[in-house]
Amino acid sequence: MANSSVQSAHNLEHGASASPWTKIIWVLWIVLLAGGLFGVAQRLTHGHLPTGYGSYVPWGLWIGLYFLGVGISGGAFIIGAIGYMLGVPGFSSPGELRMAIVLSLSAILPAFLGVALDLGNTERLLYVLIYSKFTSMMAFNAWMYNIFIVTAVLAWLLSFRVRSVWLKPLLVFGAFLSILFPSQSGVFFEAVRTNQFWHSPILSVLFLASAIALGSAALILVRGVLLPEATADKARSEDDQSAFHWLRVLAIAGIVVYLGFEFAEFSIVFWNPGAHSPNVVFLLAGDYWSVFWILHILLGSLIPLVLLSAAWRTGWSLSALLVLLGFAAARMSILVPGQVAGQIPGLAEAFQDVRLTYSYHPSSTEYLIGCFMVAVGMAILYVGMRLSRVSASNAA
Amino acid sequence: MKKLTEIMDRREFLLSGGLVGAGTAVAVGVIVKDRLPSAPQDPTGQATVRNLNVLKNIKASENEDNLLRMQRDLVKAMTKPVEKRHWIMVIDVRKCIGCYACTIGCVAENKLPPGVVYRPVTTREVGGYPNLRIQFTPRPCMHCDNPSCVPVCPVKATWKRPDGIVVIDYDRCIGCRYCLNACPYGARTSDFGRRYSSEAAVGAPSGKDRPVDGSSALQWELKPNNEYAKNWDRKKEESPVGSARKCHFCLHRIEVGQLPMCVSTCIGRATYFGDSQDPESLVVELTSKHNVQTLIPHWGNKPQCFYIV
Repeated sequence: MANSSVQSAHNLEHGASASPWTKIIWVLWIVLLAGGLFGVAQRLTHGHLPTGYGSYVPWGLWIGLYFLGVGISGGAFIIGAIGYMLGVPGFSSPGELRMAIVLSLSAILPAFLGVALDLGNTERLLYVLIYSKFTSMMAFNAWMYNIFIVTAVLAWLLSFRVRSVWLKPLLVFGAFLSILFPSQSGVFFEAVRTNQFWHSPILSVLFLASAIALGSAALILVRGVLLPEATADKARSEDDQSAFHWLRVLAIAGIVVYLGFEFAEFSIVFWNPGAHSPNVVFLLAGDYWSVFWILHILLGSLIPLVLLSAAWRTGWSLSALLVLLGFAAARMSILVPGQVAGQIPGLAEAFQDVRLTYSYHPSSTEYLIGCFMVAVGMAILYVGMRLSRVSASNAA
Repeated sequence: MKKLTEIMDRREFLLSGGLVGAGTAVAVGVIVKDRLPSAPQDPTGQATVRNLNVLKNIKASENEDNLLRMQRDLVKAMTKPVEKRHWIMVIDVRKCIGCYACTIGCVAENKLPPGVVYRPVTTREVGGYPNLRIQFTPRPCMHCDNPSCVPVCPVKATWKRPDGIVVIDYDRCIGCRYCLNACPYGARTSDFGRRYSSEAAVGAPSGKDRPVDGSSALQWELKPNNEYAKNWDRKKEESPVGSARKCHFCLHRIEVGQLPMCVSTCIGRATYFGDSQDPESLVVELTSKHNVQTLIPHWGNKPQCFYIV
């Protein structure tokens, strides 16, 4: 087993360059980056003017993507760290651990980028750390993310050592944070006690379940796309099979738990319509029906469940991509409906302005910056994996 | 897969427990610390007492205008330290005719840019023909005694003053808009840095609906406003551009003995303002005489804007 892990790690850190998808990924990245840079230029020159959010729907696509990135990050780290410590084949080598850590960082750092650009005063971003008030989940999360990033980087560095007494404690601490901060993403909304749609403890469970599904899906995608199938290498093939097996099981479990709790939450509204039923109706049968039913349920959940259950490797990668897309839609399905039902009747008509409406559709600038976030994430992943490879070679 | 005893040795286990335990202890510590009552951010005591000359030469009479009476109440309240006053607003919706003078007065006083509004007036049809009426409801900031916007602010940029006014530090606000989502009254709006002058040229046809000349709007909107008794210069796109903004009961006017602009401009005398700690004030008289209500009270925000309905 030890030999197979070493071999697997070796291949893992040399595999990226051998992927048949390399050219497509490069083209995709250049397109995302070019579009993204155009969006960033628009944001920097025109501020928030080319965006679709306003004062009554203050958070939009970037915040949705931020919570998506946080979920991927937490999930990838939990799976990578626990799999490594338990010695699960496919996760037990330092190379596999490093891949999970790099993936985790490549998801959380662009998430911050989205938040930074979303702030009205981006230049005051660090005030969250300097003047923190811990009655706010935003300040608490900001600190936790930063501590997590330091922990993850330290674990990544220590993973190159043959033996380090601090590696596993850091992985335990990082996994602890990785369980907390996706859950706290739910608390971020739950803490708004005056919003009946958000003020529900089920959101923490939903965000944690989605983090597991997202982390698994992202790891499936990285393994499936960046690392070519090695049928000739028996040891690696076994590790590969084990990794995909566990990742598929976790992704399926995460999606099923998410759907189960989501159904529990929404079904209550129909048995006993409460104050937040307008939000639910907006989501299920109103403006956002396609985001919920087509993107989140059909493309992001049901099709991936089928594909993940099938014995088709390419289908797993495709399903992973769909899971990421589907949970982006799921994030928006929490974010936007929670903001569209004003509590003061007639407020939107009282003082008419494009920024004072209870509707939201992302603008092209927002989509372009979304592309930029993805491009930055891909770049961090690439550089991180290259660094892992170079450092591993040096260590050897 | 490894056996449990192989996962980590004793030392690693203790270090793991130590890190998780220490992290949890620190987290609990900082949360509890910030939840405990703390000293007010604003000055208190004798330094906040104001002996204003306003109305000193005008004798009080029994049937004087409510505006004069409220201003006397205000001057009287200002002779007390800030922590001994508690400002409230009372709005008699039976008298409100929906003229929007308060909305416009507020926009002018605070030089509000497009999309920023402190005091919209909602319109609602009540009943059906022939028993029909239109109810106008002005909606300033409620200056809640238990504000939901304050604890969510991650940078201590908004707080409740000892006199009850919920304020925003524009130089501290990062523009995360968490407070906008936390306010159930929609009382906070974000300043996205828009200008009437740049928007005047678009959206309207020619003829009499032609928009105002952009250059004249520019002259007005680039003049600094005086919120919180400071000069906020918009020329350099600095604060409050990017920040959350809301009604502050015209704190800068109160400090010099003037009533909030919406109160002064209310031609129907439907808006009242005063110190609820003064049993002789007009607002106390109104709130005790009438059956007053607050907006969406079930959230427990304890709004300090009362409606006579």
